[in-house]
Amino acid sequence: MKGIKLQKLYNSERFLKIIFGLGLFIVLCMGGLAYKYVRELSESFRLVQHTYEVHVELEKLLSLLKDAESGKRGYIISKDSTFLKPLLTNRVALDESLDQLQTLMDENPQQQQNVKDLRLKIDKSLAIFDTTLALADRGKIESMEFKSAFQEGRRVMNSVRFQMIDMTAQENQVLKKRREASSESLSSAPLSVYYVLIFCLAILLLTYVQISKNLKTLRQKNEQLETFKESSTQSAMVSKHGNWIWHEDDNRFEFSDSLYRLLGEEPESFVPTYDNFLEFVHPADRDRLTEQMDAMYVKKELPYIHYRIRQKNGHIKHFKAYAKLLVDMEGHARLLGTTADVTDEKENYRMLEEKNAELEKNNKELASFNYVASHDLQEPLRKIQTFISRLEDKDMGNLSGSSRMYLDRIKTASERMRSLIDDLLQYSRTNTSDQAMEMSDVNDLLDAAKQDLAEVIMEKTATITSDAFPKMKVIPFQIKQLFLNLISNSLKYSKEDTAPVIKIGYATAKAKHLKTLKSSKYRSYHIITLEDNGIGFDQQYVDQIFELFNRLHGKSEYSGTGIGLSICKKIVENHNGEITAQGNLGQGATFTVYLPIR
Amino acid sequence: MQDDFTYIALADDDEDDRLFFTEAFEELKLKTKVDTFIDGVALMKALRDADTFIPNILFLDLNMPKKSGLDCLKEIKRNHKFRDMAVAIYSTSASEEDIENTFVNGANIYIKKPNDFKTLKKVLLDVVTINWQYHTNGLNRDNFLLRL
Amino acid sequence: MKLFLKFDFTRTCTQVIEDAFTNLGMEFRHLSFGEIELLDQVSREQLSAIDTKLGAYGIEIIENQKVILVQKLKDAIIDMVFNEDTTVNVKSSVYLSEKLGHSYGYLSNLFSEVTYTSIENFIILQKIEYTKSLIAKTEMTLTEIAFKLNYSSVAHLSTQFKNTTGITPTAFQRIIAKRRKMANNPI
Repeated sequence: MKGIKLQKLYNSERFLKIIFGLGLFIVLCMGGLAYKYVRELSESFRLVQHTYEVHVELEKLLSLLKDAESGKRGYIISKDSTFLKPLLTNRVALDESLDQLQTLMDENPQQQQNVKDLRLKIDKSLAIFDTTLALADRGKIESMEFKSAFQEGRRVMNSVRFQMIDMTAQENQVLKKRREASSESLSSAPLSVYYVLIFCLAILLLTYVQISKNLKTLRQKNEQLETFKESSTQSAMVSKHGNWIWHEDDNRFEFSDSLYRLLGEEPESFVPTYDNFLEFVHPADRDRLTEQMDAMYVKKELPYIHYRIRQKNGHIKHFKAYAKLLVDMEGHARLLGTTADVTDEKENYRMLEEKNAELEKNNKELASFNYVASHDLQEPLRKIQTFISRLEDKDMGNLSGSSRMYLDRIKTASERMRSLIDDLLQYSRTNTSDQAMEMSDVNDLLDAAKQDLAEVIMEKTATITSDAFPKMKVIPFQIKQLFLNLISNSLKYSKEDTAPVIKIGYATAKAKHLKTLKSSKYRSYHIITLEDNGIGFDQQYVDQIFELFNRLHGKSEYSGTGIGLSICKKIVENHNGEITAQGNLGQGATFTVYLPIR
Repeated sequence: MQDDFTYIALADDDEDDRLFFTEAFEELKLKTKVDTFIDGVALMKALRDADTFIPNILFLDLNMPKKSGLDCLKEIKRNHKFRDMAVAIYSTSASEEDIENTFVNGANIYIKKPNDFKTLKKVLLDVVTINWQYHTNGLNRDNFLLRL
Repeated sequence: MKLFLKFDFTRTCTQVIEDAFTNLGMEFRHLSFGEIELLDQVSREQLSAIDTKLGAYGIEIIENQKVILVQKLKDAIIDMVFNEDTTVNVKSSVYLSEKLGHSYGYLSNLFSEVTYTSIENFIILQKIEYTKSLIAKTEMTLTEIAFKLNYSSVAHLSTQFKNTTGITPTAFQRIIAKRRKMANNPI
């Protein structure tokens, strides 16, 4: 989860960069737009200025001409030469003005032509001026020449005036057009700037929210990390672990404080390099460790390794180390390693092994003693019995009544001894739990047991019914013995006048449903039930009947050694199962065997 | 029964058991010749030496000093000379696995030493009879397995 | 003319026998009265010839006949057990008496006399032997074997097997398998 969140954070970093880039771009665009608008504005202003200047110039021109005209007229009327003064100066000024107009009209070819026409007209007008003036000078005011020239002069003046008016109008027209154009774009400018501004602000706001969120998460993570680091340090100290990191890109080691402490040193008491660490490693393990470390550099992993170190105070400790590769988002590889001081575990383990070996030895001795005793006791017993039978066969006739009776008692006693030894031998054989468990057909084992008891079954006209058993993972000989003992038990303790009926049932159940189980290590169990209609037993003795040599009846009532059921219990225990019984005095007994399903 | 006598040998370190064995055969009154050996070493020596001495049935006790019955059995089974000899393990009780083990190693018969004489005689009679039946009917000796 | 004769039957019979065998060109030796040992190996036909020849004199080969009959009986039994074509439903007693042309009682007594065991036991012995060879040589299951040998159930076969050999068929299977393994990996 943390990984994904970090990923998101990273993505949002990108996201932020994009946002910022976008914002910057928009601002630049805005700047460009603003610049454009300002230029347009200044252009528009310039145009107005231009038209104004044209206006002014044209007026100037007209006024100059008028001045010339009025001066001329004045002179003609008053014959005062002072009226002629402005004529001269005006001429120069007129030319200047015309030139100025020419320049102003630079951009407008139509207007330029107009200016040229104007110039021509003005020249013409001025020429007429001169003519009329000359004529006036000669005193020929009343002449026809003068009048026609005067009228020509007036006509030219009018055409100049009209030309000027036309030019002004044109100029105005141009201005109007341009103003219309610029006003269009200018009117939308402020609004679009406004919208873009809003948009920019929105983006900024979003960015701010995102950044603050990220900062918050970062802070939280940092806090978690701090806590984690603290608890990690503590746990490292308590559990005697040390951490280290190997950075692949610069072949650098980092040791945690706890690692230094493991070595019996103060934190940061030496530079964390491999060679410095090697100083602490037991000389016998140095080569092997170096080999493993070299493999680690290549394979970028360190499976569990063991080695010893020797602290400066001489103590030898056993270390276990492990490292795993971690590649971060920028592709830097680090090996995160953990080293643990397992000296205690090793010591405990060694002690445990020792104790176990001792126990096993004892057990083996006991078992073999058991076995040998039972086995070797059989020999002399057998001899006794055989010789007794020889005596019976050969010399029974020669013996006195009491001798015969004594012999009979000897025979009975030795028979009892035999059955005791047989049962003990059986018991000691069930001791060996190093027999292998194998998948066995339990039906076959039951049949084999029934076969062994065939004679008794027939003799007592017993009926044995059974459910079908599945294959089970058991020790076959022992399960057969189990059936044998249970069935022969039921047969032995049957009611005198009733044919024994034995029902053997099979079921399975999950451990959690079996409340009678003392320990439920396994999940589910086979359940074998053996129900008989014999004499039963008092339920209060249910634990006793499974005890070794324990009997509920005297030997004169029923034969038997009291080992049979304890052998059953032993067999069941060898299989990690349990056996229990339910007895009804005078009605029968039910034995239940629980065997774990493997 | 058979025209020739049956050659019987027993290797058992126990004096009493050897006594029971020979007395039983005496009382059975079959056409038998019985030889007993005090341990595995004596038995193997006799088997190896004379070319004529090949018993029809060999009874082997398992627990013998110096050379156990099982070792004798293995050695005998490796030797082709004794292909037609029936080997009976004659022992006090052994575990089921041990009994099966003797069969696996080539024994034909396993006899648990009985507690009384009458049973011993019956068992020995059964062995000789069944062995003779195998002999006269040409049955496959490899499958001759009997447990009494 | 009347002649009174005194017979030395022993000498008469001995001579008859001698003549008969010399005639047949067979070497023989008297063991005791009524007991002849043939020095050569004789085939069935030759025995038959002897039988015929002596039969003419009213001399019956008792032992050989019995042995032959018992042998025939054994063969018939083996055939019955091993041959699958033999009809199941016919009782063995009926089958055998028909096959050999004698009453079952006679056959039964004769068999016991010669072999010291009953026909029933012999049948069981053969069946169990066959079972053993099937177990050892084939991969047949016990059920298949029981069916093949006309047992009413596997349990019946197992019981009979155990009663005859003292071990169960499964144990036998195990032992054969382990023997085979040992033979293949002699350590």
